[in-house]
Amino acid sequence: MSSILIIVLSLVSLATLLATIRIIQGPTIPDRAVGLDTATTITTAMIVLFSQIFHRAIYLDIALVYAVLAFLGVIAISRYLEGGM
Amino acid sequence: MVIILEYFMIFLIVLMIALALFAIKTKDLLSAVIASGFISLVASIVYLYLQAPDVAMTEAAIGAGITTLIFVVAVRKTKGREK
Repeated sequence: MSSILIIVLSLVSLATLLATIRIIQGPTIPDRAVGLDTATTITTAMIVLFSQIFHRAIYLDIALVYAVLAFLGVIAISRYLEGGM
Repeated sequence: MVIILEYFMIFLIVLMIALALFAIKTKDLLSAVIASGFISLVASIVYLYLQAPDVAMTEAAIGAGITTLIFVVAVRKTKGREK
């Protein structure tokens, strides 16, 4: 369990770091919006991982709420970029 | 296993500090909104690590979802750039 945990946490850290770099130095706003969307997906996976680590099934509900509601922010930014909002 | 999780949390908090500095420094308001959305996303993970799932759920719903939407509506009424 422990070695798998180290590998998975390293991969999730690397993915978060790459998304953060894209958000910070992305030349245009759509790059940053896509970076935020990627970070949302990574965070949902991270919450499910924590549910597995701590053996709490209630944490899966947070992943569900997060996956539904963080979608709204990206949709709002996309509508703003399109000019329709 | 606990020490690995602590290093992981330190990594996430360093990322939060970097994003907060970026949100302060940037001149583009929408970039600052995106950075603050990511900060509240990472804060939700940190609350989850601190064994507070209810706070994490509220932060995920309000901080990452609704606040980003309201800030985008507010940025739309400005010029979108800081002088």
